[in-house]
Amino acid sequence: MTTPEQVIFFFSYLSRGVLTTFEISILAFLLGTATGIPMMLLRTFGGRLWEAVVEGYEKLLRGVPIIIIMMLFYFGMGVRIPLLKDPFVSATLALGIRSGAYQSQIFRGAMRGVGEDQMMAARSLGMSELRAFRHVVLPQMFIIASAGLGSEYALLVKDSAYAFMLGLPGDIMMRARILRAAYRTFLPYIPAALLYIALTFPIATYLDRWGSRKKKELGI
Amino acid sequence: MADVVMEARNVWMEYKDVKALRDVSLKVSEGEIKVLFGPSGSGKSTLLRCLAMLTKPTKGKVFLRGEELTSPNADIDKARAKIGFVFQNILLFHHLRALGNVTLGLRHVLGLPKEEAKERAMKALREVRMERWVDHYPAELSGGQQQRVGIARALAMEPDIILFDEPTSSLDPELKGEVIDTMKELAEKGRTMLIATHEMHFAREAADEMIFLDEGRIIEQGTPEHFFTNPSTDRAARFLARLIREG
Repeated sequence: MTTPEQVIFFFSYLSRGVLTTFEISILAFLLGTATGIPMMLLRTFGGRLWEAVVEGYEKLLRGVPIIIIMMLFYFGMGVRIPLLKDPFVSATLALGIRSGAYQSQIFRGAMRGVGEDQMMAARSLGMSELRAFRHVVLPQMFIIASAGLGSEYALLVKDSAYAFMLGLPGDIMMRARILRAAYRTFLPYIPAALLYIALTFPIATYLDRWGSRKKKELGI
Repeated sequence: MADVVMEARNVWMEYKDVKALRDVSLKVSEGEIKVLFGPSGSGKSTLLRCLAMLTKPTKGKVFLRGEELTSPNADIDKARAKIGFVFQNILLFHHLRALGNVTLGLRHVLGLPKEEAKERAMKALREVRMERWVDHYPAELSGGQQQRVGIARALAMEPDIILFDEPTSSLDPELKGEVIDTMKELAEKGRTMLIATHEMHFAREAADEMIFLDEGRIIEQGTPEHFFTNPSTDRAARFLARLIREG
């Protein structure tokens, strides 16, 4: 039998993994944005060749299970690159690079939503293409993309759980597995699930609502 | 003779199988107001966009104060900063308030410091009587108010010329008036402007010259008195008759 004290202990033990899970997710998310936007730009403005290259790269990353990408980094490239022998690094890179492929899609759709006219209006003032993008297109693009980015963040939090396969210590998932082994019960997975929900739901929902409100307010 | 501010010399614009502009030449001098007239699809918008180099003409040359913008080594961004453009569908930046719409170019093209940009933007917004609406997003303004901000955005850059691409045709009839009044005021101040519009009364009052375009060609050019009372071409006469009928 599991006592209430045990349940409290499960929660406190698992919640010490929240920071690690959150760190991986946020870093991967930022890496995804940092690679996703250039990929989107390359695909949109880079001409036929780049469009084909980036499209192929995106399809590849989106078509492969995340666990395989993680293993390619950790067990594959890790042989040559010592830095990748750190499961935290490998898992974050794998998640981040795949997220870039998804975010590129999200931003591409959002940029279509902003429309070419906004760019033209900025160019008519004498702004360079880059400045016009930075000051006119980008801010609107983020607003339109916010709901999509929220789901992408949620996906990253959940998929970070796979990092246990690389032996990542300390995150929610690994802690749940340790409790499961020590107490011989599946019960710890329930508080673990609740913690994942607590990490994803508020942020994703907030982004979604903020985006809808902003879109309505600005009429975009 | 006053200085020529803007000139198109034998400009052609061809899309796949459409000739949008055929050998168009025109000049606008300092302080002049010229009105481009003609049915939709006649090439007015295309011509204005070519003059601002928002689209590059297929053939021909465009000059701003004698500098050729169609030359491969022209600094187009710098030239565009000197050419105001007011769009038919307004195209304010949705994510910026009225003031932000006007300061954007001042800050990031002219590189003015924040306070100076704000002062200059406020001056332009006062000129179009929108000073009370500076904190509103475009979506919170009426079409006429939006277009006046659009005019202020162009005005604040202190351009050599302002090009208007049918600035009232996307507006409800009751909102056109305020934009036309704003343009009249600019005309009285001696601004150099090239305006595509269907507003006959405005054209008659403000224009130094009417330029009638049809199927990408200038087919008639002259003073408003002449143009409106006694057009030389049938095509222009028929177009005028239709406009009057449709009131």
